[in-house]
Amino acid sequence: MANTVIGSSIVIDGEISGDEPLTILGTVKGKVSMAENVTIESGATVEADVEGQTVIISGKLTGNVNAREKLELRPESKMVGNAKAPRIVVADGASFKGNVDMDV
Amino acid sequence: MADKETIIGAETRISGEIRGEEDLVIRGRVDGKIQLSHALTVDKGAIVQADVDVKTLVVAGTLVGNIVASESVRLLASARVVGDLAAPRVMMDLGAAYRGRVDMGDIETARAAVASHAVAKPAVSSADATKARPAPPRMAAPPKVVAMAPKVAAPKVAIPAAAPPAFPRVTGAVAGSAPAWAKKKIRRR
Repeated sequence: MANTVIGSSIVIDGEISGDEPLTILGTVKGKVSMAENVTIESGATVEADVEGQTVIISGKLTGNVNAREKLELRPESKMVGNAKAPRIVVADGASFKGNVDMDV
Repeated sequence: MADKETIIGAETRISGEIRGEEDLVIRGRVDGKIQLSHALTVDKGAIVQADVDVKTLVVAGTLVGNIVASESVRLLASARVVGDLAAPRVMMDLGAAYRGRVDMGDIETARAAVASHAVAKPAVSSADATKARPAPPRMAAPPKVVAMAPKVAAPKVAIPAAAPPAFPRVTGAVAGSAPAWAKKKIRRR
């Protein structure tokens, strides 16, 4: 239960960092840097550079992603920014604009 | 309520501003500002350094910052709180540590002060000078006046502008005769 959840009506303007899974349902502007997984749920709006173990996006993200393990763009997701991750999954229906760097 | 709740976990740190319309539970660290139309809980182990404007506030952890709650504030036994507090209902459990000013009256003034954080500190110190400032001077100033006898004129010019009329009378009595009286009486007895 060591979890952080940013609810749908919450707006955070600043920096989130930590060592546990993070789920965003609301709005985050600034920077997100976690040692664990980051999930951006559908309905969420993130305008931030995101760093995490596995980054899963179902909502809307504007910013660069650096996932140490995997980046997943789920259907209905919208991402604008550069993606850096060793493994990247883009589902049918996801929209993405930016550079991809898989360290090859 | 379960899905309308935001949790900042114990291993998470947020620096910046949090706003929202749902309950928020902080178990980790938050530095900045928190503005909610619902309840805020600062759990045991949490460290919050922020100005807080919420409906209800429950503190079991550590909170440093000015607090405005439109409904109630409760400091549990494990709470460590420093900052001014404005709320119509305030509860403090036995064991709670708190330092600051409590105002159970006019919330709007305090809210305005917290809302415009940059303006808040000068505004509070000048507007509330007559209320806020006298308390420390009454404790601290008289000894100073006694010690620096030649400089009595300077404090007298500065203090009446801010302090209520009672203040000069107190200093006058203390500065003029109290130390001498005290010593003489002790010796005679």
